[in-house]
Amino acid sequence: MHCVRTVTDNLYWVGANDHRLALFENIHPIPKGVSYNAYLLLDKKSVLFDTVDWSVCRQLMENVEYLLEGKALDYLVINHMEPDHGACIEEILLRYPKVKVISTEKAFMFMRQFGFHVDGHECIEVKEGDTFTFGDHTVTFVGAPMVHWPEAMVTFDVTNGVLFSADAFGSFIALDGKLFADEVNFDRDWIDEARRYLTNIVGKYGPHIQLLLKKAGGILDQIKYICPLHGPVWRKDLGYFVEKYDKWSRYEPEVKGVMIAYASMYGNTEAAAQALASKLCEKGVTDVAVYDVSNTHVSYLISETFKYSHIVLASVTYNLGIYPVMKSYLEDMKALNLQNRTFAIIENGSWACKSGDLMEKFIDEELKNMTVLNERLSLASALHADKAIELDNLANALVESLNEQA
Amino acid sequence: MLFQTTPAHEELRAKIRAFAEEEIKPIAFQLDQNNEFPDDVVRKMGQMGFMGIPYPKEYGGAGLDALSYAIAVEELSRVDGGVGVILSAHVSLGSWPIFAFGTEEQKQKYLAPLARGEKIGAFGLTEPNAGSDAGGTETTAVLKGDHYILNGGKIFITNAPKADTYVVFAVTTPDIGTRGISAFIVEKGWKGFYFGDHYDKLGIRSSSTAELIFDNVEVPKENLLGKEGEGFKIAMATLDGGRIGIASQALGIAQGAYENAVEYAKERIQFGKPIGFQQTISFKLADMATKLRCARFLVYSAAELKENHVPYGMESAMAKMYASDIALEVTNDALQIFGGAGYMKGMEVERAYRDAKITTIYEGTNEIQRVVISSHIMGKPPKSESGSSSRPKKPAPITGVRKKMILRDGGPAEQVAALVEHLKKDGHDFTVGIPVDTPIAQAERVVSAGKGIGDEENMILIEDLARAAGAAVGSSRPVAETLKYVPLNRYVGMSGQKFTGNLYIACGISGAVQHLKGIKDASTIVAINKNPGAAIFKNCDYGIVGEVEEILPLLTAALDTGEKQPAPPMVKMKRPRPPKEEPIGKRYVCGGCGYEYVPELGDPDGEIAAGTLFEKLPEDWVCPECAEAKDQFIEA
Repeated sequence: MHCVRTVTDNLYWVGANDHRLALFENIHPIPKGVSYNAYLLLDKKSVLFDTVDWSVCRQLMENVEYLLEGKALDYLVINHMEPDHGACIEEILLRYPKVKVISTEKAFMFMRQFGFHVDGHECIEVKEGDTFTFGDHTVTFVGAPMVHWPEAMVTFDVTNGVLFSADAFGSFIALDGKLFADEVNFDRDWIDEARRYLTNIVGKYGPHIQLLLKKAGGILDQIKYICPLHGPVWRKDLGYFVEKYDKWSRYEPEVKGVMIAYASMYGNTEAAAQALASKLCEKGVTDVAVYDVSNTHVSYLISETFKYSHIVLASVTYNLGIYPVMKSYLEDMKALNLQNRTFAIIENGSWACKSGDLMEKFIDEELKNMTVLNERLSLASALHADKAIELDNLANALVESLNEQA
Repeated sequence: MLFQTTPAHEELRAKIRAFAEEEIKPIAFQLDQNNEFPDDVVRKMGQMGFMGIPYPKEYGGAGLDALSYAIAVEELSRVDGGVGVILSAHVSLGSWPIFAFGTEEQKQKYLAPLARGEKIGAFGLTEPNAGSDAGGTETTAVLKGDHYILNGGKIFITNAPKADTYVVFAVTTPDIGTRGISAFIVEKGWKGFYFGDHYDKLGIRSSSTAELIFDNVEVPKENLLGKEGEGFKIAMATLDGGRIGIASQALGIAQGAYENAVEYAKERIQFGKPIGFQQTISFKLADMATKLRCARFLVYSAAELKENHVPYGMESAMAKMYASDIALEVTNDALQIFGGAGYMKGMEVERAYRDAKITTIYEGTNEIQRVVISSHIMGKPPKSESGSSSRPKKPAPITGVRKKMILRDGGPAEQVAALVEHLKKDGHDFTVGIPVDTPIAQAERVVSAGKGIGDEENMILIEDLARAAGAAVGSSRPVAETLKYVPLNRYVGMSGQKFTGNLYIACGISGAVQHLKGIKDASTIVAINKNPGAAIFKNCDYGIVGEVEEILPLLTAALDTGEKQPAPPMVKMKRPRPPKEEPIGKRYVCGGCGYEYVPELGDPDGEIAAGTLFEKLPEDWVCPECAEAKDQFIEA
């Protein structure tokens, strides 16, 4: 049976939810599921904006069929060709042989690469600034290259102020009935997953998000709805989410606080991390988050690293190097272009302690615009009372640095 | 486009020319003869608003453009090259870095009186071992609490000692070349700031030039100009603009000599007609006028570029180089036209001939100008092992950048005396001290024993020295662990106690890596060891090569001030952190794939040399990963 919701007059959500998928992009855990959003506009002509993942193709077809009431689909607009949205193009083409496809040059190239037979259909290639009228509704197309694929565009309906924003402004978590961000407690229940989605999927492309935000800035007062390809539709308090995007894409921390990420084999490094966390709280810094890198998926670590201003890395030495899981976390920071953070280091080694120097070198040489505090806590196997002053110095340095940036 | 100055420019020129003719010309010979600075003239220039021509009115300036300033220097130099450089050094060198890099407070406090002409400015970069290569700068500034301690000296400083404020460059982070240099605003009259003799120069004798001497001058932290490590950048940016001033000066000197020669060529009659109508002289005049026109266009165009915030470093170097090269030729020809009469003292062409020479030398010799120009054409040369001192030549030692001053002069007594003098100069106060059993991690000072101390009875030398130096006792790991001379909690090292205080005196310590890591945050490290090859010497600030039995008692005696006062809470002396290398240009990201173009790396596959700025990439260059065109890139 169909499962649709009304976005606004003549515009319907025709997507679907997925709770069975364990790993988004086969890499990021999504314990609360995800939604694949597609939208159908019923104007003089009917227009489907994007499709969904293959796993929920049948639901999309039922939804579209129900709303079309036996008529044919006139247009298919493809904003983003990644298969979690583009997978059902072929099925649409087969079911609606006269459908005309509107997309960018690169997206058409990708469709052919993925094996969709668009060439028997009218393909309307659009570029930045082109407009198209479906009856009462006129849309304009805006390029969004590298947010987060090169072919991506967003489509703005100038008639009703709906922005089809592709992967921008998306989020993990299945909608489960709710459609609008104001139907959930977004800041309490969704923001962490929205951040994890953005930072891990699009984090590397901050400058391109900034470019898109700049373009959107010009028409911000005309945007009434943001319809992303994952997560809820925004129709109230758009500024809240736009501001978050601005921060994340400029690599500015959201929270002045300390994230402690530790790599511990037998609990000794963990104990030092915990001791530091307590020390910080004793000194009044209570915005402290502690993570075990071995037992936390790196996508969560990255998300938290985008959130906090200060990061403490505590790592054992492993094969004369950085503990592999910690190393992989650092590599992800580099891949996702994270910048502008202050780091502190706790190192541990029972015979030749190398992890501190190596982590500092990586931060200095591989990451951009990072500061590493001088005060380092070095452990030989375990934290003992003789290191109390070093621990205290480290905590003080963090407090001082937090206050400096206040 | 007519390549002409505006009526406003010509009005200003007329005003300054009248001033120069009336106020300077009559006394120019006297100033030259007596090596005399024209205090009254400079005061009047201030009152007439000449001293702040290119600065905004809100900072006391005249709010005019760079070209107006160039015209002012040209017109003054036309009459007296010395007065021309007084204005040039004041505006371009003494004031501009404050205007461009100063905080609002610094601008109000220092730029405004300079621009109003109430104070005179100067610029101190050149040193005996640092001229064209600023990386050789030896003047140092050490941060201590709320001020820097400035030591060293500068030579050939224009406007010294007349100037009231000096923009001075000093090393804040040693051993890392130009990236360790910072700029400071220093006031005349501060304790320890002296001047050497006024130099006796070939030309520009009406300008004052002297040596600056800094002996423990306390410079308040707020007088740091820009950030630490930005000194070289500030100096280079200043000199970019300063070249326009010197080019204008050269142009003015040559113009004055040329006009004198034309006049003389019309008056002097030989073979029945004015010599100016003899082809040999008329051709000379034609050449002189052509060179002057070329030089003027180069100078004015560089000034216009600067005014319009278009990159002008290469153009100002071309203007300075060409104008000064032809100034020598034009003044030489002018003197030749005068013949024997021109060779006499008191003749303006004779003075111009001498005045012109300096313009090919100062604010970057013309050889350096050619380096600047060619580097704009060719970009950075491929990296090589030797070359510029702006890059560190070797990796910093484990303890970071250190002075590594090994005291070798004289015998042990002299070496110890020199050490104590250095330590006191650095701000260590030996009238106060801490108990010898202060925990290492809390100690401000530690005297530490290594295996080189020998028998256990020698530990008394360490304890005596610790008491005399007001320090706690520490040791290397083997001295505590194997020899058991001290308890285990007193060994210093990465696995033991870390010393982060101000003074660490390592006695008989060879410098194992794990020990050095434990003292890398020490402000000052002193090494005493009989083995000159010991690693500790590469990781120390001061070192004495000698037997501990001999050096330690001498040092104890030298530091012993009787009963120590309890030390006040420690003020940590700041350890310089090697600043990161500044990017040479902006990075750009491809809109087709996210590839980031890094100018430091270039694009080897596309045969783009490392060091090529994105802006300088050929138009047909494409992304090496996805072949998108250059215009698909955005700033990272």
